[in-house]
Amino acid sequence: MEIGGLLLYLMALVTMGGIYAVMALGLNLNWGMTGLFNVGIAGFFAVGAYTSALLTTPPMLARSGADVGGLGLPIPLGWIVAPLLAAAVAWVVGRICLRLRSDYLAIATIGIAEILRLVALNEQKLTGGPFGIKSIPRPFETMDRPWGEIALMALVALLVFATYLFMERARNSPWGRVMRAIRDNETAAGAMGKDVEAFRLQAFVIGSAFMGLGGALTAHYLKVLTPEASEPLYATFLVWVMLIVGGSGNNKGAVLGAVLIWLLWTASELVTGALPTEWGVRIAYVKMFLVGLLLVVVLQVFPQGLLPERPPKLAGEAAPR
Amino acid sequence: MLSAERLVGGYGGADILKGVSVRLDPGEIVVIVGPNGAGKSTVMKAVFGLVTLREGTVTFDGAEISGLPTEQRVRRGLAYVPQERNVFVTLSVHENLEMGGFVRKTIPQAVFDRIYALFPVLAEKRKQPAGELSGGQRQMLAVGRALMVEPKVLLLDEPTAGLSPRAMDEIFACIKAINAQGVGILMVEQNARQALGLAHRGYVLATGENRYTDTGAALLANREVAESFLGGGH
Amino acid sequence: MIEFINNYVIPGLVLGSIYALGAIGVSMIYSILRFAHFAHGDLMTLGAYIAFAVVVAFGWPPVAAMPLALVGTVAASLAIDRYAYKPFRKSRPIVVVIASFGVALMIRAAIMLIWGVQPEPYVEGINPPLESFEPFRIQEKHIVIVVVTVVLVTALHLLLTRTKIGKAMRAMSDDADLARVTGIGTERVIAWTWVVGAVLAAAAGILTGIDTLLKPYMGWDLLLPIFAAAILGGLGRPYGAILGGLVLGVIQELSSYPLLSDEPFISPGYKIGIAFAILVVMLIWRPQGLLRGRVL
Repeated sequence: MEIGGLLLYLMALVTMGGIYAVMALGLNLNWGMTGLFNVGIAGFFAVGAYTSALLTTPPMLARSGADVGGLGLPIPLGWIVAPLLAAAVAWVVGRICLRLRSDYLAIATIGIAEILRLVALNEQKLTGGPFGIKSIPRPFETMDRPWGEIALMALVALLVFATYLFMERARNSPWGRVMRAIRDNETAAGAMGKDVEAFRLQAFVIGSAFMGLGGALTAHYLKVLTPEASEPLYATFLVWVMLIVGGSGNNKGAVLGAVLIWLLWTASELVTGALPTEWGVRIAYVKMFLVGLLLVVVLQVFPQGLLPERPPKLAGEAAPR
Repeated sequence: MLSAERLVGGYGGADILKGVSVRLDPGEIVVIVGPNGAGKSTVMKAVFGLVTLREGTVTFDGAEISGLPTEQRVRRGLAYVPQERNVFVTLSVHENLEMGGFVRKTIPQAVFDRIYALFPVLAEKRKQPAGELSGGQRQMLAVGRALMVEPKVLLLDEPTAGLSPRAMDEIFACIKAINAQGVGILMVEQNARQALGLAHRGYVLATGENRYTDTGAALLANREVAESFLGGGH
Repeated sequence: MIEFINNYVIPGLVLGSIYALGAIGVSMIYSILRFAHFAHGDLMTLGAYIAFAVVVAFGWPPVAAMPLALVGTVAASLAIDRYAYKPFRKSRPIVVVIASFGVALMIRAAIMLIWGVQPEPYVEGINPPLESFEPFRIQEKHIVIVVVTVVLVTALHLLLTRTKIGKAMRAMSDDADLARVTGIGTERVIAWTWVVGAVLAAAAGILTGIDTLLKPYMGWDLLLPIFAAAILGGLGRPYGAILGGLVLGVIQELSSYPLLSDEPFISPGYKIGIAFAILVVMLIWRPQGLLRGRVL
């Protein structure tokens, strides 16, 4: 591969890796900081992706066989509404399920994700069904190559950085301390007079909003959106692996894990490209197997991940034992 | 028979036991009393292997058992009755007894007969789910279940907690009867006076350490013990 | 009326039988090992495909291939427990749940790697309704599904009420700590729980394959209704799981009855949504389930 191609490849890698980093940071707020077992990332991803795509795609171009056109609104509006709608869905789910044990949240979030996938598949008039939505506008796509790609990569990097700063501030704030207290000992936190349910709901809703944002970014970056994009393997479990490998509870770990796992994930595509098609298909299953294996093995061998959680030291707080 | 030497440990956090020693000779009833938080129940759990010990040893029948899993301790003739949630509520009375003898290959009918003779009310309700029993009957079933392995020593954690005075008397009478058959009994009791009256020897614990050790009668007669630990001198 | 039974009740009971078999396993694993087993659907798929391999290799009918497939699935589940779940026995239960998602992906990936993604029937050909049941449209496969379910449920009932290990399973699902101090060999009980769970799961998978087609995602797609059925019946209550499965199966089929117009009341594409709706309703109204099981 020549240098130019390699650079474009690297930029694509950073862009998509960055989008995953946003979602991993959202999951870190859910699971790493608050201990909420959200396995419905795909659902919030789908809400964000379809919302932004439908709002911004030009009416005529949108879909084959769809009756309702896109609204053709500006992209930034899509990126604002998408996380808000994902947050709204999360609020409804959280209100019902957060007071029960975490296994229930797992079942409920999986259920929501499955149903949203069915909606995307069945409501052809709205979503284009299995054919999905095409010609979703990509930011900076009118610019010449490679400047458009560079600009988009810079924008995503900026968003990752902003998300990271937001999450770090949350983590170091009194709010973040309450979250960890709830995660580590819910009864004691409740006894301290904290409204445990309200705090958990906030963490769940905010984390899910970032998953929705991740969905919106993906839709615009890839320019097409089909129900397959919200397949749990890619949208849910890959993000889980990223967070666990990077180090759950640690925001830097979430970003590192996202970039690293995405690098490995796409690097294997370079290999499969060189193989006969039949093998290429099989490699996809091998990758799926490896994602599963990582989930099982990482938790056993190094449960803390690459960058273990370090509780922030605050003035006046006793040093950890 | 059973001896625990200088036990130090707890449930992972701060130590609850800070060097407690307890001994039980064959055929004895030994009672552990003391204020809340003294570590009474924790001693029992430590003897049975439910507590992580940092120091100290437990020997039973001439062999050290400190590191053994609970199942092995049961096989060697040690049986334990927890304070609460001590029956399988959805299993019938008879099935509860069968589970008590899980470690045995076969359970002779005579073992069931002996327990039903000791607790006739259980025989009447053998087919009922244990969840339908009264508090006192549950306690009897819990003790009966522990007896299914024909233990050499029975560990009872507050067997009369939450029972009516009448049910309490019944339980104490049963404990005496079981002991008369040669089973050693180590028990923790809130109801210290009545229990010490029954005991051959007693231990008074406070803050995870031994405070007084004497015969049951002597502890009852000891004014200091009575004032500090048995709720006034009446 | 007869049309109503043919179109809704019979398919509902058939589907419900399959749900019931899966739900019993999920329910028992939850109450004995204390975690929601999210690889259970894929365990069903595994059983179905092992039977497929036997059918292809020896040319046997699927029911004859069943015993071998059950043994294979039991062996797989014991190995999975040993290497993927046992290391977490003393961790927080939710960590095992993550591992079970990993296992689910691994099983599914292995199936697609070995057998591909094309839907496959066990046996080619059409399956006409049996004449002796006129006017009811009952096919041979319906009888097979219901009979296998009844046989397995009866065997489970005998295991739980007549054998020492079965009673110990009930005891441990009642109170695992008490089981431990009573001297019940908890690892042995856990192993038997996997045997029971895997047998029922594999059977459910094979029956699904007989009813429709083999697909690598067949088990994953059944996961939500199975959990809904287990929660509907009350977790830790095997008989509740059976009830929950049958109720859910019938409700799901009835949901496409053209109640208000000529259109199905709920579009068949959303049948799975019924399971989720029931899950949510139970969560709000009666989290312990119909037969008073545990609350998650």
